[in-house]
Amino acid sequence: MSEKKIPEFSANWSAEEQGKWGLVVDQDLCTGCQACVTACAMENNIPFVGEEDAAYGRAMHWIRIERFWEGVYPEVKATPFQPVMCQQCGAAPCEPVCPVFASVHSQAEQLNIQVYNRCVGTRYCANNCPYVARTFNWRDYERPEPLPNQLNPDVTVRRRGIMEKCTFCVQRIKRAEDRAKSEGREVYDGEVEPACVQACPAEALTFGRLDDPESAVSKKARSGRGVKLLEDLGTLPHVTYLKGGA
Amino acid sequence: MAEKLSLLAIFPDIDPAAQAVDELRGLGLEDGDINVISGIPVTEAMLGRPRQWSNVPRLALGGAVGGFLIGAFFAFGTPNLYPIYVGGQPLLPGAPSIVVLFELTMLGMLAATFLGVFLDSRFPSYSPKEYVPQISDGKIAIFFECPAEKEKKCSQRLLALGAESIQPAEAQKL
Amino acid sequence: MSATHAHETDHELEHLRREHLMLDPKPRGEMNRMIMEAMHTTSWRFRLTFAFLVLVVLVCLFGVWGYMIAEGLGVAGVTVPIYWGIFLVNTVFWIGISHAGTFVSALLRVFKAEYRRPFTRAAELMTTFGLVQAGLSIFFHMGRVWLSYWLFPYPNERQLWPNFHSPLSWDFLAINTYLMASTMYLFLPLIPDLAMARDRSTGWRKVFYRILSLGFRGTEGEWAHLRIAMNIFAFAILPVMFSVHTIVSWDFAAAMRPGWSSTIFGPYFVVGALQSGLSAVAMVLVVVRGTMKNMKYFIRPEVFDALGKLMLVISMAWAYFFFNDYMVQWYGGDKFTDALLHFHEEGPLGWMWFAMLILNVAVPWLTLWNKKVRRTPWAIFAIGLGVNVAMWFERYIIVPISLTINRMPFTWREHVPGVEIPLGIGTLAFFILLYMAASKLVPLVPVWEVQEGQLAHSVRKVGKEVVVSVADME
Repeated sequence: MSEKKIPEFSANWSAEEQGKWGLVVDQDLCTGCQACVTACAMENNIPFVGEEDAAYGRAMHWIRIERFWEGVYPEVKATPFQPVMCQQCGAAPCEPVCPVFASVHSQAEQLNIQVYNRCVGTRYCANNCPYVARTFNWRDYERPEPLPNQLNPDVTVRRRGIMEKCTFCVQRIKRAEDRAKSEGREVYDGEVEPACVQACPAEALTFGRLDDPESAVSKKARSGRGVKLLEDLGTLPHVTYLKGGA
Repeated sequence: MAEKLSLLAIFPDIDPAAQAVDELRGLGLEDGDINVISGIPVTEAMLGRPRQWSNVPRLALGGAVGGFLIGAFFAFGTPNLYPIYVGGQPLLPGAPSIVVLFELTMLGMLAATFLGVFLDSRFPSYSPKEYVPQISDGKIAIFFECPAEKEKKCSQRLLALGAESIQPAEAQKL
Repeated sequence: MSATHAHETDHELEHLRREHLMLDPKPRGEMNRMIMEAMHTTSWRFRLTFAFLVLVVLVCLFGVWGYMIAEGLGVAGVTVPIYWGIFLVNTVFWIGISHAGTFVSALLRVFKAEYRRPFTRAAELMTTFGLVQAGLSIFFHMGRVWLSYWLFPYPNERQLWPNFHSPLSWDFLAINTYLMASTMYLFLPLIPDLAMARDRSTGWRKVFYRILSLGFRGTEGEWAHLRIAMNIFAFAILPVMFSVHTIVSWDFAAAMRPGWSSTIFGPYFVVGALQSGLSAVAMVLVVVRGTMKNMKYFIRPEVFDALGKLMLVISMAWAYFFFNDYMVQWYGGDKFTDALLHFHEEGPLGWMWFAMLILNVAVPWLTLWNKKVRRTPWAIFAIGLGVNVAMWFERYIIVPISLTINRMPFTWREHVPGVEIPLGIGTLAFFILLYMAASKLVPLVPVWEVQEGQLAHSVRKVGKEVVVSVADME
């Protein structure tokens, strides 16, 4: 598990600097079934906000399926479903603006890390995220019995006043890395699957090591159909979207 | 071995007070023995008094330097002590450091100025002092120390110039 | 012939005396008595208003805030993607109002505008109390406010210092610097007036003023140190004032949101702050003059005349910066900025955008050129109120309305205010309450500065005209 020294200043990054962990979303395969949304909520102890708060936009899902259409009724055409989650940007705009260092960059995992117990809830990071990928605990949401039995012990349960977002299921990454280290090997391709990747019935999501050119995710990311969201902003996201037909 | 008496002379206006200062100097009193107490800042030039020196500007400068050093510690020291990388920005950011340095330099300067006034004027001081409340009503008081033998002469001259009263200066609780 | 001329001269002198406080000196003892009387007299109206405001502050501010801390920010109107709402609007608003004091007591002092003398303290009090409300509004908007001390840079065992890359950290440093600096700048010229109050008080008031006046007598040394310090403050607090609102503007400009990432936000916000500050000073002075005893001697129509001219000039500056920002965004053609501008003008709150322009630009430009309007206190009050309402609208447009539009249209949502409304009303009530309390505890007019100015002013005849002459007494 070699640790790559990434240059500090993003302007010094070379074009091939892909980072370590990456996700590929194949929009031509996505059916919009929201199994990923559900799996993520189960894996990461995401609270249920209730009907009223959800109607006001406060649903706390770390991944959302964006649905659009083109044209005017009755000649409407659906566009591909777009699952959006934290893009784990290489030059994340959410990081420098947090006054207490609750949103920082991991040099080892090359992910954007949200430190729950440090967050004081200024929500500047959320305002600065161009992908609107961050959610906030607006209240202490109830978990009536027996829901607490469903909680994942690997993931912190957050209180009111804390920001949260997709972590690429860093708890699964860490578990796989620990297992690999104890067995004296590297993590092999496909060993780590975030909850969304695991749950997708259409296999539209692929996850793995972007710095390994032979991994499935690297090959797909390099394909001609690959685009990045809001690429011109220079955030260097680690999520590639495939669309445009076979 | 001259016994010195402390006297307080009260004048209704600046002109007679300025003349009185001259008079006292003519009678042989040192500038250091004379102190003018007033309800508005009467400049030294108006009274013919030597310039007052103050430590406040030097303290302000010292405070600015101190503030700058603290700002430098925040901007350059803390990231070196506990490096955390954020947002593709360098560890020691250029523009943000300037903001931090500026604010703390100004704070240092102004805080030192404020405390300098306290230090130089020996504030706060609640011990009894030579003072009469008429001073805040606009009178100019001249507080002077003169040798006992000259006391009568000084009093006469000052009364002639228009002093409202001359009394022994008693230190009283303000 | 000469008798007629003498009569004319007398007439002019009388007119000048009535017009200008600086040409109408009273004995110092008389002015002191007037100020002490203004402090000690409280009418039943004052006491009733005071009691009502205490009630509003306890319920709308502390009560509702406690509720919000217990329940979480869900009771406020913020949501995705409008993570910042009325709390930030109020923060910027109150910091804007607080620039009033520094403008009057520092900028006008540096430019030797003598008419500032009677109301520097009244304006400077607005700075301190306005910053208290701004600070409260910042605390309101935090998710875990009980941990807000983590923004303070102090040695700790967590191996963590605040993040100085963040505009919010700069905000923390700048606002605290400004708060401390203007409180110190409020206190320094207050010391001689507290000494005067000490000399004329009995009972608990005398103890209070004795302690606060620090043993000031008015010796040459004390005045010298005070004058030098006040000069340093007057010049140094100006860059601090400019930097504070610029840094607040960078909370928005440093973010990569359409409509926010505008390079002109720095000066735009500073001028906006001066605008709302000046109008607030004018409003407060109208109220003080109308309700406190003896204030009509100190605060004369010449003050409103001068403030009205300043309001007109600053309104023009604001229009210049607003148009700069608007023109560049309108012309640029960026898809999302375009959508944002349309949302501002034609969205459900488009009336706010138009009201802002009418009250900020049209009304001042159509009225304040007229001397008669400027010298009428209630007219200045109404125009100032309109300007402050418009500036609040401006910040509402910049924060919740602009946050609706971002680069991911699936998330666009309109903002609906929640408990921010009683909390905002609470801060306004708290501001007025603090001000009313201060007006009875502290001499509102710096009598020594007024007398100093009166000493420097004289009238003399140049040819056939009577002119006012000001000596530079530094």
